[in-house]
Amino acid sequence: MTQSTQMPNRTNRAIRRYIKLYLLLIRTSIRSRMQYRFNFALGSILAALIQLSEFLMVAIVLAKFGAVQGWSVYEIGYLFAVMTFSKTLYRTFGDEVHHLESYLVEGELDQLLTKPLPVLLSLMPRSFRLMLGEVIQGTAIMIWAFGGMLGSGQITWWAIPQTVFAILTGAVVLFAIGLATATCGFWTTRISMLQNMTEDAAQTAARYPLTLYPNWMGGLLLTAIPVGLVNYLPALYILRGELGIWVFPLLAAAACLALLLALRFWTFGMSKYQSTGS
Amino acid sequence: MNTTHVGQRTEQAAIEAINLCKSFRTPVVAGGKFAGVRSLFSREYKVKEAVQDIGFTVKSGEFVGYIGPNGAGKSTTIKMLTGILHPSSGSVRLAGVDPHTDRRRCASKIGVVFGQRSQLWWDLPVKDSYDILAHMYGVSDKDKNRRLDEFAGLLDLNEFWDTPVRKLSLGQRMRADIAAAMLHDPELLFLDEPTIGLDVNAKRNIRGFLKVLNEQFGKTILLTTHDMDDIEQLCRRVMVIGGGRLTFDGTTEELRRKIGLPTQIKVTYRDGYRLPEERLLSIHVVELGEHTLTVGVNRQKTRTMDILRELGHWGEIDDVEMHEPDFEEIIRQVYM
Repeated sequence: MTQSTQMPNRTNRAIRRYIKLYLLLIRTSIRSRMQYRFNFALGSILAALIQLSEFLMVAIVLAKFGAVQGWSVYEIGYLFAVMTFSKTLYRTFGDEVHHLESYLVEGELDQLLTKPLPVLLSLMPRSFRLMLGEVIQGTAIMIWAFGGMLGSGQITWWAIPQTVFAILTGAVVLFAIGLATATCGFWTTRISMLQNMTEDAAQTAARYPLTLYPNWMGGLLLTAIPVGLVNYLPALYILRGELGIWVFPLLAAAACLALLLALRFWTFGMSKYQSTGS
Repeated sequence: MNTTHVGQRTEQAAIEAINLCKSFRTPVVAGGKFAGVRSLFSREYKVKEAVQDIGFTVKSGEFVGYIGPNGAGKSTTIKMLTGILHPSSGSVRLAGVDPHTDRRRCASKIGVVFGQRSQLWWDLPVKDSYDILAHMYGVSDKDKNRRLDEFAGLLDLNEFWDTPVRKLSLGQRMRADIAAAMLHDPELLFLDEPTIGLDVNAKRNIRGFLKVLNEQFGKTILLTTHDMDDIEQLCRRVMVIGGGRLTFDGTTEELRRKIGLPTQIKVTYRDGYRLPEERLLSIHVVELGEHTLTVGVNRQKTRTMDILRELGHWGEIDDVEMHEPDFEEIIRQVYM
């Protein structure tokens, strides 16, 4: 009896302890990065420039044709920026999930199995990545796109909280895709080729409206590798008033489902790892 | 330090391994085109028995050395004991708890150090790693600081307190790693080759600390090593694994006695030699040459001077070479 009342308490304490741990990691990571301030500043500026030039390539093509399948240059900029923010959020916290391959190849995962936490929760705080360059790029493009669309009256200020919501669920979706991809490593060890497809290529593809692609591919990017949920689907409602307000509960539900499935798959892969070893 | 609590604890084995077996299945692939892809779908497997039917009990407070050549199954055993790998059959109990059904509870009771790897944060200063680990294990600031103070004195941690881990020397890193494994004050410490690649000084430092942990803090320690000095200076008990099986389990003295330290003596005679009909039992001939003779002797049983005197009776000695057995040879002896 007493145990059942203690359980939520203990879980609460464990969660609070974990959050504290993570905050500590963030603080110490920032502090250690700041020891090489020049290095950090230069790296961030370079990253921002590289990211911006990527968008400029897109923008130049767009400027030539005016629009892509009825999507204006501002709208494309919006798709681009939302994807950047979601990806940055995912990689800031989940970078080690993306780099699981090195843990598998070098046997570092063994170390994590000796910790009193679920393996995923010991894996994630192994690093906290500061991605200032991506934030600068995303902010710059987002302000520009918002400015354009607010000015023409296409959207109202309401679009801001809606976009924040989309970015958050998008980050969860990207994390789920990354986790599921990484889990394949328990069987194949090498996952970088697979990541090229499910993460890099898919995220790049979703910088454009999905109507650009053949139907089967658009469908694939909304279901199997649901990167379309990150920016395309919310943009349909937020920018163009298509679909309906139900898009948001749908996004939340889809993100939860994706995360749940990915976690299931991860647990299954983990059990395989423990019984076969490296 | 309280040293009496060892006796007061309830009589429960610290480590209990029962009929541990582990076999690995690797898909068999004939060479040729697309071998890599085909291996994903291959139905044929080659089974390798890495560990076969290993069973032992380690009592609280013991210091056990676990030795064997590369590929004998040492690491696999350690991984099963610490909950990293599930055994194919058999079971493990750490202070009564099964690390495979209850991994996280076990994890907070054990400390694990892999000599080849670090559990510290590569880019962070050493002290920050300890802060994060303390949060992970739920160690209070007070306990953390008190333990680190103790460890810092014993392991000279202060000299690299603020240095990022990637800049530490191997010896410093190992010291920092052992302290990290002890931060949550586990009763049980597993060390997989903690002295690998270290120089004499660093080895001495680490051995000293492990001795204190065992003798003054009453910690139970199991360590694997290739360094016979680790065993001689630290462990009262040795377990030897060969080909996945436990081939010896006893005290270091018993191991030495069992092997009998067969020193090889190569004698060169000036004008040949003559083997007597009757000779000391402890001298056995290994190789007969025209002028040289190689014998194996048990120096535990017979004094070297007596052996040399005996060999002198067989002919006029020109030169004598003594060859002490090295560690690998000792282990090979134990297999038989």
